[in-house]
Amino acid sequence: MARYALVIDSRRCIGCHSCTVACRVHNDLPIDMIYNPVTTVGPTGVFPNVHMVHIPLLCMHCANPPCVDACPSAASQQRPDGIVWVDEKKCVGCKACVMACPYGARIPNHEKGTVQKCDFCKERIDEGLRPHCVETCHQKARIFGDLDDENSEVYKLVHGEHSIRLLKELGTDPYVFYIYGWEV
Amino acid sequence: MKHKEEGWGWMLAVDFFFAGMGGGMLLIAGIADFLLGEGNTSVLGNFLGAFCIAIGACFLILELGRPLQAWRVFMNPRAILTFGAWTMTIAIGAGLIYASFGLKMLPWSDWVILRKLMALGCIVTGLIVATYPGVLLGRHKSRPFWNGPGMIVLFLFSSLVTGGAAHILSAAILPAYYPGGLSGLPLMVALLLGFQLIFWVGYLWVKISGTTEREAKAARKWLKGNFSGKFIYGFLLIGTLLPLVLLLFPGTGVIALGAFLALLGGLLMRLLVVYSGEDRTWLPGEECYRARLPLGTEEFLKAWNTK
Amino acid sequence: MKKVDLEQEGIEIKKACCYFCHQNCGVLVYVKDGKIIHFEGDPDHPTNTGGLCCRGNVNLIHLDHPARVNYPLKRKGERGAGEWERISWDQALDEIAAKLAAIRDQFGSEAVATAGGTQRTDDWARRRFMNLFGSPNGFHNSHLCWIPTFMVETAIYGWCPFEIDLGLSRCIVLWGQNPGASTMPEMSAISLLKSQGLKVIVIDPRYTETAAKADLWLPLRPGSDLALALAWLHVIIYEGLCDYTFIEENCVGFDELTLHVEQYTPEWAAPLTWLTPDQIREGARMYAMNRPGNIQWGVAVDQLGKPAGSAMHARALLRAITGNLDCPGADLLTGPSPDFITDEEMELNEYLPEEQRAKQIGSDRYKLVTWPGYSRIAELTKKYWGKAPTAEWMCEAHPPSVFKAILSQEPYPVKALLVSATNPVNSYGESKQVLEALRTVDFLVTCDYWLTPTAMLSDYVLPIAGSFERPTITSTYGCSDFLLTSQRAIQPMYERRTDFEFWRDLGLKLGQGEHWPWETLEDAYLSRIEPLGYGVESYDEFVEYYRYHFPEREYYKYKEKGGFATPSGKIELYSSTLKELGYSPLPEYIPPVENEIDNPELAEEYPLVLTTGGGVMPFHHSEHFQIKELRFLRHEPYMEINPATAAKLSIEDGDWVWIETKRGRIKQKANLTEGIRPGVVYTQRGWWYPERDMRDPELGGCLESNTNVLTSVADEDCDPLSGTWANKGLLCRVYKAYDSDRKEDN
Ligand SMILES: Nc1nc2c(c(=O)[nH]1)N[C@H]1C(S)=C(S)[C@@H](COP(=O)(O)OP(=O)(O)OC[C@H]3O[C@@H](n4cnc5c(=O)[nH]c(N)nc54)[C@H](O)[C@@H]3O)O[C@H]1N2
Ligand SMILES: Nc1nc2c(c(=O)[nH]1)N[C@H]1C(S)=C(S)[C@@H](COP(=O)(O)OP(=O)(O)OC[C@H]3O[C@@H](n4cnc5c(=O)[nH]c(N)nc54)[C@H](O)[C@@H]3O)O[C@H]1N2
Ligand code: SF4
Ligand code: SF4
Ligand code: SF4
Ligand code: SF4
Ligand code: SF4
Ligand SMILES: [Mo]
Repeated sequence: MARYALVIDSRRCIGCHSCTVACRVHNDLPIDMIYNPVTTVGPTGVFPNVHMVHIPLLCMHCANPPCVDACPSAASQQRPDGIVWVDEKKCVGCKACVMACPYGARIPNHEKGTVQKCDFCKERIDEGLRPHCVETCHQKARIFGDLDDENSEVYKLVHGEHSIRLLKELGTDPYVFYIYGWEV
Repeated sequence: MKHKEEGWGWMLAVDFFFAGMGGGMLLIAGIADFLLGEGNTSVLGNFLGAFCIAIGACFLILELGRPLQAWRVFMNPRAILTFGAWTMTIAIGAGLIYASFGLKMLPWSDWVILRKLMALGCIVTGLIVATYPGVLLGRHKSRPFWNGPGMIVLFLFSSLVTGGAAHILSAAILPAYYPGGLSGLPLMVALLLGFQLIFWVGYLWVKISGTTEREAKAARKWLKGNFSGKFIYGFLLIGTLLPLVLLLFPGTGVIALGAFLALLGGLLMRLLVVYSGEDRTWLPGEECYRARLPLGTEEFLKAWNTK
Repeated sequence: MKKVDLEQEGIEIKKACCYFCHQNCGVLVYVKDGKIIHFEGDPDHPTNTGGLCCRGNVNLIHLDHPARVNYPLKRKGERGAGEWERISWDQALDEIAAKLAAIRDQFGSEAVATAGGTQRTDDWARRRFMNLFGSPNGFHNSHLCWIPTFMVETAIYGWCPFEIDLGLSRCIVLWGQNPGASTMPEMSAISLLKSQGLKVIVIDPRYTETAAKADLWLPLRPGSDLALALAWLHVIIYEGLCDYTFIEENCVGFDELTLHVEQYTPEWAAPLTWLTPDQIREGARMYAMNRPGNIQWGVAVDQLGKPAGSAMHARALLRAITGNLDCPGADLLTGPSPDFITDEEMELNEYLPEEQRAKQIGSDRYKLVTWPGYSRIAELTKKYWGKAPTAEWMCEAHPPSVFKAILSQEPYPVKALLVSATNPVNSYGESKQVLEALRTVDFLVTCDYWLTPTAMLSDYVLPIAGSFERPTITSTYGCSDFLLTSQRAIQPMYERRTDFEFWRDLGLKLGQGEHWPWETLEDAYLSRIEPLGYGVESYDEFVEYYRYHFPEREYYKYKEKGGFATPSGKIELYSSTLKELGYSPLPEYIPPVENEIDNPELAEEYPLVLTTGGGVMPFHHSEHFQIKELRFLRHEPYMEINPATAAKLSIEDGDWVWIETKRGRIKQKANLTEGIRPGVVYTQRGWWYPERDMRDPELGGCLESNTNVLTSVADEDCDPLSGTWANKGLLCRVYKAYDSDRKEDN
């Protein structure tokens, strides 16, 4: 079984928001819904000694996802390959998962009354394709793959470079890894 | 910074309020039954306990995005919300049956064992319903104000205060069979209010001084930020200290006023606590990013909608 | 997720391209029964290798947006009243042709001018039309965008070395360029090579997406690039960092240059550039000592106004004295393509009579990018390369002077303006004057996708076919030796047509029939690529099977060709061509158009230094403000200011502020950032509000946040060589805008 992960190479990310738009357009998201914001940290420091880094966010597909535990309807689920997703039919819109997710990855859809989130483009994955946001990234700053496969690029990056995970201290065990040129 | 937040709203706070109050009422009624025997609490109060939980449940359902699918909340045994939903259901049942013993025309009104069993049920489920919001919120590791076991205590105390106050008010309307049995209730509620005051001060103190910077920041909002007025004047003074004093006075009117204010305080606290959950542990750069997104009322969002 | 079955029967995959900037990224478009059901970046396309930026991703939204112009429109009511009558193409073309003919008869063909924008359309067709019509007054805002650089560099080396051989380079100077927001495919290559040791120097007043990745960031005072370039020349020459063999063998005028730059020490430049002498030296050394290296063109230097030409000149000399030309890893002098028909060869420039050339507006003052300079350079390059640069860009009427001519009838009346692929109120300088000219001109026709402010003021608006609705040839303004091609994915929707068809059909109505042999754009393109000898039957077949043509890379072309395309056959550090045109053969120092040293009283009143523009994602200049999916990400304009400066002005992050120059004021929101020097201000470009009332005078709030209200096109602020006007290095003041004056007119 694969274990999907995403590595974001902040040394290459330029904060262009193309991933945000690709996700929204191809997943047909409502205009005010963003699965994958890209934030900018900085410029920090004092002119001219400054730093800046862009941080693309999305669902971390946590190995220990508090959102799934919180979901009273069992609409939120995790597949064996790690992908956390919401079965829209079952979702009652209680927003327990919205509150439980430390990464702001879950967004209520007010039209439907349900909650949505990034599902790693699982239909594409199942067809052997890469997620839209990965595909669209000109800078090749998003690297998607199977972390159980020692030959995969994600495996090599996670094990070869100094990568960090956001809010790791919360014990969610996120599967999105960030490589920085410097500490944020 | 202002930006659109998409979390729990006031209806959940109202749910917590009614359910907590109802839970507290069941708990008090059950304990009174065990310690003092039947008839020490007002029948109205006994029924209200179950009703309050039911009203809470209604608000919970209304808070759902798809209220018609509400039955699905019973589906995940690992979810606290599911646990709470089951407990509330049982509590409503136990509470109603227990209260029905106060209606002497019913055939089972002297089935003591069943009554004691139901009283026990009220104690157990009432306790859970009174505390579970605290458990639910306290487990949110990325909501710095909620996170930790402290919320459990705060909710338990508030549920007991509001439950006690509700019993006082119920008894004022429809006195219990043995009104003397719980004559100490105002004093007890006043004591609880005193503890509540101490616990809140302690809670903020611990958050501000002892833990992470994120938690400290979230807690400081209660003393200095946009919550401070409602918290200090609304909750601490009018919703806690003032009723504490009033409840120590003799006189049904004054006591009833005190009880009423304590209820308002409980409601206000829940609103503030629920809204404080909007304060997530922001990821790097996230706050600024979200602050610059449209709020939804902008002109361009309304343009070009039809062909 | 929208699930589309891409395996279903009857699907054709078209190799189209995105048309929302001149990168023209490759796109695979899945078409069934003439409808697009899916598209994605083409992984095999050399430019984008599968990636698409924000704008690329909204192609389908753009394609059928409710605000698009889909039918020819004729003005019904008052100019700008927004009342339109839908007419047929035939009627539109008949009436426009009749009007142009009447103007020609009464005022001469030169009374008809055309305005263009960023190169993303077949402008050779426009030039062809204008040459046959007899008017020399076509122009673009390309004065702000590479064209002067091209011409200055061609004057010195015989061609512009715009192709960089990055793979083998050791150092790249990004001079006023921010590929991290503007040319993302290039940025991708830079990041990759940087991780392998490429040194990256960014010269930019702002700490940009690109500066954040650089080895060295030189935050110079806006507009002071010339002083920096001169000081770099000084450092490299006086520290002996030149490539002396290269100079000896290939350059003339080194001694004159050496003498000339003696005065321009880093200590001299420091107070002008606000950099330290050490910073200046460090940059010069890094470039000169990490050879081979590149200096990449950035648009900022083209927009300095008066010092622009001299700055380009000085920057060009840096390559020559370090030998960073046409060798592996350096900037390459590829010359035009000998193999396919270039844009210039499609233009029929020989049809424009000498006496009409002489009437070109602005050619009396700004000689390099008008007929006088262009003819000289075309003559030299034709002799050497066999071909000339594209005239539609390198030989243009001076845009501000044309707008002034409309208003003042000087030097003669300009009665008609045909606008195609530009939104002049936003992109040309001194918007208020541009707007007045648009209101004033007798006859105005706009070809666009949208009802822009310009279109709103027009007599006719023609619906233009967009990105997936037409084929494309990409060849760097017609000047590269390679080309990339793309297919039409679908026939134009509604009654849209390509720009080519507009000019051709108008030409046909005006009796140019014999010169427009091709019925379709594909036919025209086929005739251009036929000489490549791929033996294809159709243009589509070429795209299908070859897609691009990259000739084998040849270094040191000058060795085998016996020199350079200049009068002396050498790189002219001392430029005889510039001298012949009446300009200084060496780069003289010219201060920024407005500055605290020469204009102390002005600086008293306007104490901050302003730079206008610099592209931001997700917008392309004034485009895409209607696309909610993009607008949502940046729905308001932001200017940048240092927190220390803001504090003095009591401005907080997110406040609306006025930015004001001598010429007017605009409103943007304040972004407080340490990424800009105290005392410096940057404004975003392109802003208007298409969601608002589009009728005159509101015109979508086209002046309210429009940075070009602030810029200067005064003759004395324009570059004497090219006439490019001043967008950088101006003086301004900034103050808080209160709610009460938010709606007030500028
Ligand atoms: N102050 C300041 N001013 C600047 C700049 C700056 O940095 N600062 N940058 C300058 C630069 S580099 C440039 S290139 C110019 C850009 O100036 P413009 O080219 O005027 O910029 P756009 O806003 O892209 O306007 C293009 C218009 O053409 C339409 N359009 C797009 N494609 C086509 C097409 O194929 N056919 C037709 N008929 N219409 C089309 C669009 O809908 C849009 O309305 O602005 C310049 N102005
Ligand atoms: N997102 C996006 N991409 C675009 C475009 C767009 O509008 N939006 N436009 C396209 C077009 S037409 C062009 S020409 C290219 C242009 O792309 P670039 O050549 O990258 O030009 P800009 O982004 O206009 O400006 C580059 C930098 O110049 C800096 N600058 C400002 N003043 C000065 C100065 O006085 N000196 C120096 N050295 N630097 C200065 C600005 O801070 C900015 O970061 O981008 C293309 N790509
Ligand atoms: S598309 Fe790539 S470079 Fe752009 S913001 Fe997303 S991750 Fe960063
Ligand atoms: S990031 Fe949030 S939504 Fe995604 S798996 Fe983790 S907790 Fe769940
Ligand atoms: S909102 Fe839907 S997915 Fe989220 S916890 Fe509730 S039922 Fe589950
Ligand atoms: S993986 Fe798919 S759903 Fe998730 S952010 Fe990327 S594009 Fe969106
Ligand atoms: S707009 Fe974006 S996708 Fe389109 S050609 Fe330019 S860089 Fe490529
Ligand atoms: Mo440009």
